Amino acid sequence: MIEVVSGGTWTTIQDRGRPGWERYGVSPGGPADWFSAAAANALVGNDPDAAVVECTLIGPTLRFRREATVALMGGETLAIENGIAFPLAAGAELKIGRVRRGLRTYVAVRGGIAVPRVMGSRALCQLGRFGGGFGRPLEVGDQLPVGKATAQPPPPLPLPKGRGLRSGGGRFLKRLPLVGPWEVRVMAGPHTSAFGADDFARFLNTAFPVTPRANRMGMRLRAPGFRVQATEILTTPVTQGAVQVTPSGEAIVLLAEHQTTGGYPVIATVISADWPLLGQARPGDTIHFREVSLAEAQRARSRLDGWFGQ
Amino acid sequence: MRRIVAAGDRALLIVFGDTMSPETLADVLTFEATLRRVKPRGLIGTVPAYASLLCTYDPGITEGASFQRQLQTLPVPPRRRLRRAVHEVPVRYDGPDLERVAQHARLSVADAVSLHAGTEYLVYAIGFAPGFSYCGVLPEILATPRLPSPRTRVEPGSVGIAERQTGIYAVASPGGWNIIGRTDTVLFDPRRRPPARFQPGDRLRFVPA
Repeated sequence: MIEVVSGGTWTTIQDRGRPGWERYGVSPGGPADWFSAAAANALVGNDPDAAVVECTLIGPTLRFRREATVALMGGETLAIENGIAFPLAAGAELKIGRVRRGLRTYVAVRGGIAVPRVMGSRALCQLGRFGGGFGRPLEVGDQLPVGKATAQPPPPLPLPKGRGLRSGGGRFLKRLPLVGPWEVRVMAGPHTSAFGADDFARFLNTAFPVTPRANRMGMRLRAPGFRVQATEILTTPVTQGAVQVTPSGEAIVLLAEHQTTGGYPVIATVISADWPLLGQARPGDTIHFREVSLAEAQRARSRLDGWFGQ
Repeated sequence: MRRIVAAGDRALLIVFGDTMSPETLADVLTFEATLRRVKPRGLIGTVPAYASLLCTYDPGITEGASFQRQLQTLPVPPRRRLRRAVHEVPVRYDGPDLERVAQHARLSVADAVSLHAGTEYLVYAIGFAPGFSYCGVLPEILATPRLPSPRTRVEPGSVGIAERQTGIYAVASPGGWNIIGRTDTVLFDPRRRPPARFQPGDRLRFVPA
């Protein structure tokens, strides 16, 4: 068991989520930065989809009743170094604290967080208030069961800070920018043709600041002067990575916990290989979009999947 | 005539038209039923809404281009009839926006209620949030714009109006629709299969309770 000593800003349990249930209005969910979650799992010998703790901005403090092996990936904290499988003694407290670079940090525990599955997943469904153990973000006093380890992790190394890359985490760390300005790759569509002739080109030429209105559902971007001429569309199913543009010119990028349908036209869609960047972008960072083809997008994704032998 | 466009590297969107009509919805649902029967390799899920169908796929199993070819060449039977059965949804017409909707329509509250309850609706989509049921078409006279700024919390079972649509909130969520009443019918339960009470293509009638 792991006891939550303090909950942090917005701390949730995430696994691969619930893809396939969108037709009932259920968001796929899953980590906002799937690459970091999978990398943290790999470091402790878990399946890449095992349930982890997603920390946002200020992480929780966790007390481990039994000895455990943990790894952190994603945003950097002062708790333990990212990229190391770190052994904790029974009774140890892991204080994640503030995420200093990036926005979200993933805590993987060897064996995975074993809260019950609901609709096939342990992840929190925020709007449905189910999953994630408690149907809400973690709070003081919550008890998190830990599952049985299925594979041997790379040998854990009791390392002093600053020397920690021998366990193999370094290869993941090299994959991960944590600060903006961000270049994020998109594919055109599905509603690019609902916009004015120059709108897409101007979209690609605009640096968009991230506003404070950003959460796991989506992030709002607003660039002064960016306006579009779009025709209205009928409510349509939407995907993670979709960039909706409102009549006022605000761009809303949909993240993991996105609503399943939307009424704003989608000018472009962020490729899944770059969803992790969106999960780490902070309010105030700027995002610049670059167009790629479907083939490039799928090559980029399979290169990332290759890190986990998939 | 349907159009298939990429929605990123893990989904295709099939667009069947640009209007809210029972015929277009029937096209969407006929295609979806065929797809779910044929189960092309790599298909993860389908999401119908109004005039379009999203098909998510796993590019680790099927390449986008070949998945798109499979959808293009899918042998689709003639348009299927929508279901005939009508679900009755008991509603207490006491919502915070009912009076404003009636004023907007220049009707008495009683007339607005009987017009809303006197119409049979089609479920065009389950979306936005778990179980939220988008229904149409609302009689034109009742059409009311969304609230200028959405409420931070709308209770489960709330029945709302937005433009020519009426809908039911299944779970508590933020929302900008005009709330005219509330039902006790449970519209979403993650333990039930299917988890949502209604499906696109279902017919609904609201009954004043």
